[in-house]
Amino acid sequence: MAVLSFREALNQAMTEEMERDDRVFLMGEEVAQYDGAYKVSQGMLKHFGARRVIDTPISEEGFAGIGIGAAMVGLRPIIEFMTFSFSLVAIDQIVNNAANMRYMSGGQFSVPIVFRGSSGMAGSLAATHSHRLEAWYAQIPGLMVLMPATPADAKGLLKAAIRCDDPVVFIEHEVLYPDRGEVPEGEHLVPIGKAEIKRPGNDVTLITYSRSLKVTMAAAEKLAEEGVDAEVIDLRSIRPLDMDTLINSIVKTHRAVIVEEDWPYCGLGAGISDRITRTIFDELDAPILRVASKDAPIPYNKAMEQSMLPSVQRVVEAVNGVVYREV
Amino acid sequence: MPIEVTMPKLSPTMETGVIAQWLVKVGDQIKEGDVLADIETDKATMQMKSYEDGTIVRIDRPAGDEVALGDRVMVLAKPGEDPKEVESKLAGGGEKKAAKPAGAGPVHSGNGQPTVEDEAEDGVAEDSESDSAANGEAGRVKASPLARKMAAASRVDLTKVRGSGPSGRIVRRDIDDFLAGKPAAPAAAKAASGGAKAAPAAAAKAPAAPAPVAARAASPADERIPHTRMRKTIAQRMVQSKQSVPEIHVTVDIRVDKLVAIREELNRALAAEKLKLSLGDFVTKAVAMALRKHPGLNATFEEDAIVRKGSVNIGFAVALDAGLIVPVVQNADSLGLADIRRQSEALVAAARGNNLSTDQLTGATFTISNLGMYGVRQFDAIINLPEVAILAVAAAEKRPVVEGDKLVPGTVLTVTLSADHRAVDGAMAADFLRTLKRLLEEPAMMLL
Repeated sequence: MAVLSFREALNQAMTEEMERDDRVFLMGEEVAQYDGAYKVSQGMLKHFGARRVIDTPISEEGFAGIGIGAAMVGLRPIIEFMTFSFSLVAIDQIVNNAANMRYMSGGQFSVPIVFRGSSGMAGSLAATHSHRLEAWYAQIPGLMVLMPATPADAKGLLKAAIRCDDPVVFIEHEVLYPDRGEVPEGEHLVPIGKAEIKRPGNDVTLITYSRSLKVTMAAAEKLAEEGVDAEVIDLRSIRPLDMDTLINSIVKTHRAVIVEEDWPYCGLGAGISDRITRTIFDELDAPILRVASKDAPIPYNKAMEQSMLPSVQRVVEAVNGVVYREV
Repeated sequence: MPIEVTMPKLSPTMETGVIAQWLVKVGDQIKEGDVLADIETDKATMQMKSYEDGTIVRIDRPAGDEVALGDRVMVLAKPGEDPKEVESKLAGGGEKKAAKPAGAGPVHSGNGQPTVEDEAEDGVAEDSESDSAANGEAGRVKASPLARKMAAASRVDLTKVRGSGPSGRIVRRDIDDFLAGKPAAPAAAKAASGGAKAAPAAAAKAPAAPAPVAARAASPADERIPHTRMRKTIAQRMVQSKQSVPEIHVTVDIRVDKLVAIREELNRALAAEKLKLSLGDFVTKAVAMALRKHPGLNATFEEDAIVRKGSVNIGFAVALDAGLIVPVVQNADSLGLADIRRQSEALVAAARGNNLSTDQLTGATFTISNLGMYGVRQFDAIINLPEVAILAVAAAEKRPVVEGDKLVPGTVLTVTLSADHRAVDGAMAADFLRTLKRLLEEPAMMLL
């Protein structure tokens, strides 16, 4: 299997889908001439030409709207936001049009569009470049929200997203772009709505996604050395959520910690925790704990920025809390 | 309503307790788990802990008093209550004995009577979250949902289970331990505060220094040490055993070279876990397994019957400064060596710290007395009534051993079984020892 970076895997997914289906096109700021702000679309302008790889002005609401219109008449646009923090300019298009169109038109229109781009805290880009908005989008009925953590899942999920007949918000964590991993060649699809057990274990279920998977896996290794056998689940799909995998795991371990990079208040973990508690209350031996970012805007200062994030230590402490272990 | 704290049952045979010393005073704010007093029982000096939070408004009995079980020893004002008001009400004679003994009552009552806590089970207490009385007065049992489900399935009364989670929450492992008959895990978060308060108590418990007598080099004065309750109990029980039991003693030598080698190997493997198996752990395991095969020795002698016990619970004698105490490894036959080690260590530590719970002191079906660490070659132990036998374990030492026609050095352990001849005949005793000898000489047999 080829070893690719996360950004190369995304590039491969888009390239393969555009070769397979000529209704697919890519649009966004700097995706063409500059090969993408994060070089995800490197070489695509040369390969597909300016009709299918389209540079736009700084006008998120405009090009998101154009994309939605194009999708309604049968094309399959991929809209790149340079960062998801800027998608807020287009949120009216995404929420009021893309997400609602199928429902409000009584099924006459579908909107097969992918909104993709970078997100998350990454090296001193300060507050407006570091938002983690997955919980916002995940709240909207009509949207799918996908957040891969590995190059292989990045390719498989993006291909599935492009083929999906409903709007997909596809969030790529900025610090994952250079990560390398084995990526299956050609037709590799990861189904939307399927979580993956990245590490089996018996004592506690750690639920996470995107970049936090790395922190969580490191914490699981540390816990293993200390005699706590953690199961790690990578959600991959934020919405729809794979409740079956979560339930089966927690019925086995009876304890759960959710590791998320978004803000704690009304964050993803709150919703997940609620669903677990309502479904299998009697299986829980401890409250579900959440390790999220600190409840504040993201500072520019690097050390302060890092201190905001879920860390190995914070995950270990939360696990100790739910397995009732004194350290 | 104020909380009445009563004399708890701290040993299985206790009927009264002497307040050795109070570690708190009127006006102190105490938290659940804080040590209130040292109580001398017939067995040992134990810590009396609080099961409630509150402010002490009255201490009824001074140190030195002998108090019957269930009698009130102090009154607490609950958090939120005005201690002065409580006190004036008490002084005004408006006091009434609480229907339910506060403090240790519900945990130790052991009589299967439903208590107020049962209300929590059918949701009455849980529904009244806005009612501030729900948590304190009704003594709502804190348990995780899983623990509640397990308790309901196994018909375990949650009020009988000690919780090891935060604020005494009963969690899965507490139910598992309860069902396995294991001693309750020490309350987690309480250890710190309890330990700090226990320190002066421990100091006070050290053997009393001899009364300063005008020393004369020529004829030092005799020292008179009054009996502690523990010493009285030991004396009474040993005399009872020796006078009432026709003992037989059967001794065997056991070649333990293989065991010593396996132990070293296992200990190397366990080094990372900071676990070190002793020969005694192997003996405990082997005895427990042998008892399964020879249930006649895992029994008690009663007037009209010999009662063969269903579980194998091994008591082991622990020497303390003040005397001797026998904590119990429950269901030792079903435990692996590592668990036996861990439990024994925990029990010895609890025994030394005077922290043994009633559960940890009761239910033995057979006792082992090990003096190996003192280099003893062989000895006889006195039977711990009502059990029918006890095993005395001496030191494993290098001795000349005849192998074929040759004399070779070998490691030999001598054990002596004291058995109650009313229940155990010589052949039975010897047969048991033969099984034990096989298990210890060929430790791999323990895997079977």
